[in-house]
Amino acid sequence: MAMTHRERILATARGEKTDKLPFGARIDLWYGYHKAHGTLPEKYRDWSLVDILRDQGAGILYRGYAIVKEKFTDMEVIEKIDGPYTTTEYRTPIGTVSKKEVLDTSEGVLVKYEMEKLFKSAKDYPIIRYVYEHAVPVDDFATYHRMKAEVGEDGLVGTGGTFWSPVQRVMREIMGYEVFFYELADRPAEVESLIEVMKDLSRRKLELAIKSDLEIFNICANWSDDIHTPVFRKYFIPWFQETCDFLHSHGRLAMAHVDGEMKRLNPMFKETGIDVAEAITPFPQTKVTMKEFREQLGDGVTIWGGIPSILFEPQYTDAQFDDFIKNMFREMAPGYRFIVGMGDNLPFDGDIERVGRVVELIDRYGRLPLAG
Amino acid sequence: MADLSELAKTIEKGDRDAAVKETEKALDAGVSPEQIIIKGLQVGMGMVGEKFSSGEYFLPDMLLAARAMKASLEVLKPLLTRTGMPTIGRVIIGTVEGDMHDIGKNIVATFLSGGGFEVFDLGLNVPNQKFIDAVREKKPHILGLSALLTTTMPNMGRIIKTLEEEGLRAGVKVIVGGAPVTAHYARLIGADAYARDGGEAIPVCKKLVGK
Repeated sequence: MAMTHRERILATARGEKTDKLPFGARIDLWYGYHKAHGTLPEKYRDWSLVDILRDQGAGILYRGYAIVKEKFTDMEVIEKIDGPYTTTEYRTPIGTVSKKEVLDTSEGVLVKYEMEKLFKSAKDYPIIRYVYEHAVPVDDFATYHRMKAEVGEDGLVGTGGTFWSPVQRVMREIMGYEVFFYELADRPAEVESLIEVMKDLSRRKLELAIKSDLEIFNICANWSDDIHTPVFRKYFIPWFQETCDFLHSHGRLAMAHVDGEMKRLNPMFKETGIDVAEAITPFPQTKVTMKEFREQLGDGVTIWGGIPSILFEPQYTDAQFDDFIKNMFREMAPGYRFIVGMGDNLPFDGDIERVGRVVELIDRYGRLPLAG
Repeated sequence: MADLSELAKTIEKGDRDAAVKETEKALDAGVSPEQIIIKGLQVGMGMVGEKFSSGEYFLPDMLLAARAMKASLEVLKPLLTRTGMPTIGRVIIGTVEGDMHDIGKNIVATFLSGGGFEVFDLGLNVPNQKFIDAVREKKPHILGLSALLTTTMPNMGRIIKTLEEEGLRAGVKVIVGGAPVTAHYARLIGADAYARDGGEAIPVCKKLVGK
């Protein structure tokens, strides 16, 4: 009997050989945008994301959800919504910090950006540490099970105990990259103390998330070698090694959503212990070809991705799209430890029918081992 | 003539406090603000730009260097306002609508300031019409558009088209940049130039204004 999408994806993630290339497609950016603007293609009006991907014949990577959330105790959390803007205040016994986010529908309903970060100045360190020391992990297994049932054997729910690693949360969510590097230069002890608090919270969240039956845990996302390389070895690798040891001891796999420029990070990836590099985005959207990704990440890491988002856009013809995919198969020969996917999403002006084209190309050229 | 190589090194190392000290030292020694900028800051930024382009430096290095240069320029600003330093050109820069990313744009803005340009930074998530209005009002030599998302990049082409429709295109050079932007894309949408990073932006912008 033929393997299901789910079986093929999981087997490949574990390093097992399968019959043909798995395809785990991600279209939530495209879907969220068109759903919000009422512009889904006529034939897909009122369809769910999962059903659209099923119709295209693709495996499903169902993302945009956290299996473990944070509940803040011993403080008041006040949320004020003003149109697309949400201001959240954390009023603690030792002071108040706040952040402002905007839900930007230019990308669909999924994407929230922090317009004002929690950290504004050095006086915020003790308050922010308090906020996250008093954060209690709370599971949302019910939603996970619902999503898992919805996807069934056609794919996976993509989530993890902690979407970003502790240091990435400080860098991106709490401070913003610019302020992070200024603070790391001016007040390294304070920054590292905050990172330790976030690590403790992440450990507590993982200890809860591991009680689910999630097979692959996404443990970090959104690296770019021009930002992360200088701090990767000191702040990222040890944390990933610890997390991967924990997950592996429970028979689970670790995944990172690596959709940025990875050229100078790839040589360090193997040290992390992460099993799956997802949302791999090659040339022309980054500087690294798929052949180079395979060489640099080695045969012990499953690569998930390979089709840059821009390939789905109208500036590329169908013929150019097909040629890219066929060339990618040649570059990735013999093709094991490789799950075809988007780097990292179907863009809002992408052609949904090209998802089906990938399925056809895999059926024609994607049987394993691939010819080089 | 005071040796400004130490000032250049503080910019190269991204040492803000040392940059301010060396700037004050140079002023005390009677060096003109213009020479401090040209022989100290621009030399330092040039070194930083080369190291970034070669891959030796990363964005954090650029951020710290830009911060050091900004701090030095703050010391010089009151003196420059009095003497009025001629600028190479006027630049309007911003991140396009729907895009909340601005690190790269901020670095480019600082590099261009240090490189002798007068920079008007419109910030991030800038509506297309705001760019058009700014071009009409300030008559810049260069309009710099930044985008970090493939979903927001199309705004660059729309802005260029609107500049044409409103008869403003001929008077301004458009340079585009940002992670998903490429030289090919720049040509596709009718931009005049593309810069990969802050280091590249200065020579490209200087070329655009004929320097």
